[in-house]
Amino acid sequence: MAEELVRMEHISKFYGRVQALRDITVGVRYQEIVGLLGDNGAGKSTLIKILSGVVQATSGEIFLHGRKADIRTTTDAIACGIETIYQDSALVPQLSITRNLFLGREPIKGFRLFNRMDHALMDQAARALLLQVGVIKDIPPATAISALSGGERQAVAIARALYFDSELIILDEPTNNLGVAETRSVLNFVRNARDTGHSCILIAHNIHHVFQVVDRIVVLRHGTVVADDVDPRKTSIEEVERIITGPDAAEPAESSRGTNRGLE
Amino acid sequence: MLKLVKVEAGSPLPVRRPSRLLRLLARPEVGPLILLVLELSAFGTIRPLYLSPFNISNVLDFTVELGLIALPTTLLMIAGEFDLSVGSVFGFSAVLMWTLFNSGATSLGLAFVITLAVAGGIGLINGWFVTQVKVSSFLVTLGTLLVVRGAALYLTQGFPQRTWSAAGSRLAAVLAGEIHIGRFHIYMSLFWFIAAAIVLHYVLAETKTGNWIQAAGGNPSSALARGVNVGRTKMVLFVLTAMMAAASGIISSIRTSAANPNSGTGYELEVIAMVVIGGTALTGGRGTIIGTVLGIFILRSMHSGLVMIGVPGLAYEIFVGAIILAMVALQAWLDRRQQAEG
Repeated sequence: MAEELVRMEHISKFYGRVQALRDITVGVRYQEIVGLLGDNGAGKSTLIKILSGVVQATSGEIFLHGRKADIRTTTDAIACGIETIYQDSALVPQLSITRNLFLGREPIKGFRLFNRMDHALMDQAARALLLQVGVIKDIPPATAISALSGGERQAVAIARALYFDSELIILDEPTNNLGVAETRSVLNFVRNARDTGHSCILIAHNIHHVFQVVDRIVVLRHGTVVADDVDPRKTSIEEVERIITGPDAAEPAESSRGTNRGLE
Repeated sequence: MLKLVKVEAGSPLPVRRPSRLLRLLARPEVGPLILLVLELSAFGTIRPLYLSPFNISNVLDFTVELGLIALPTTLLMIAGEFDLSVGSVFGFSAVLMWTLFNSGATSLGLAFVITLAVAGGIGLINGWFVTQVKVSSFLVTLGTLLVVRGAALYLTQGFPQRTWSAAGSRLAAVLAGEIHIGRFHIYMSLFWFIAAAIVLHYVLAETKTGNWIQAAGGNPSSALARGVNVGRTKMVLFVLTAMMAAASGIISSIRTSAANPNSGTGYELEVIAMVVIGGTALTGGRGTIIGTVLGIFILRSMHSGLVMIGVPGLAYEIFVGAIILAMVALQAWLDRRQQAEG
């Protein structure tokens, strides 16, 4: 048990009478990047939402460091060291980089009742963090998120996860709508996060991006785990695509065109 | 990288930072400030009496009462919600307090406390429907607008309540006592307005709560994912707005010696106009208290100015509407320019 950072056991989820997840058991090891794949409606999002406290499982248990964890809200998940970076919704566009970095965990200065944010500390940390992440060198931390590019936004979100030392970073489609260079740097952040001691779960429609960076692939289909130990170094993309679409898929040759043919 | 190390050591500003003057001009309060200065100088030139202590005092009387509602409404709108019930709460609170007092049921002080508590309850109901039942605040507060106005009319059977028995009361003096400074006559409510503006500006700009308010309106789902309690933040703002609308109604009833169940009708729209003219985004996420203070003065000094230069008072709303259109067009233009620069 203890070789795994997170383990989800026998997770099921019903939305009304629709079953989204059936008895899922899956784990993430220390310093590992897991790629979570599956077609639309396979249950990836639901599984992630359960882990990040957005929704609760109908049944099943979550273990952290081998101990049972009670994750009922997003605050619980963050307190457990689980950071989720959703595509497009991770940041508040109107707020500055600094205010976004510390949103929900603002440091307070002086008399507590006055609730005053420690702007000096926040600015200093933000500046150092932006330098560390590297992709956004000459942007003042007071800049509003709305003025940043997609890659810069992902960088800010990842920087935030690193700063608060989250043990598990969940990235939901981090490379969506990004250019080639920006995609490369975002994937580098993910590698960087693993190399500095974090574990990651990566969801991406683009299998090529997943293959470039993950250590292990887990595939969901119709709410169940159909493969949980696919090694991207020993498996071809075509094989993984077959696992994703399943035996009932019409033509294997057709599916090699990519899995993102669904209307999302 | 090297360039940045130098920046931290205090050398010239990095490339992307615009000049100090440009940043000052880009502040959302600058447009409203220019508008206010233009307006005051135009009216002052046409009618020098406009800037006389007598007229300034007169304008201030009612301006700060509406201002007491517009200030918390700013925070509420930044958090992404509306309150259309403030005008009804304004009228209802005054008649409730005076009915309680005149009937001999309570002292004036207790009546005041009860009224504020009831107003807080109305705010809670608004907040509960919006955050728990998840109905748009526009519809929820449209409902409470009618319920509360109806309650005021039913409670009084449509008759104004006596208020003159308050003469000499300490509470009345603290809330709305009259003070003469030179040729100015001002009411205590001006100080309450200033205090409220300072406190709410501090809350919005400096505190964690302020960050949460902006995040709740800017991107609620991401705020929620960060552990921000969006529901409670909005709830507190609904309660605050209703209580300040009640305080405003009470202050106004003491000053004018009249508690009319119909008073406050239409204030909700004037208040929203003030907030929007002050640069707060109608969609939430962005706005300032300083902007709202300017918006308050822009509208009320225009009202007085139009009357003084001989425009019929009934034409006032034409100008309010035109100014709103001009200001939102300006905001949209500024937004587009900012996006282009970013």
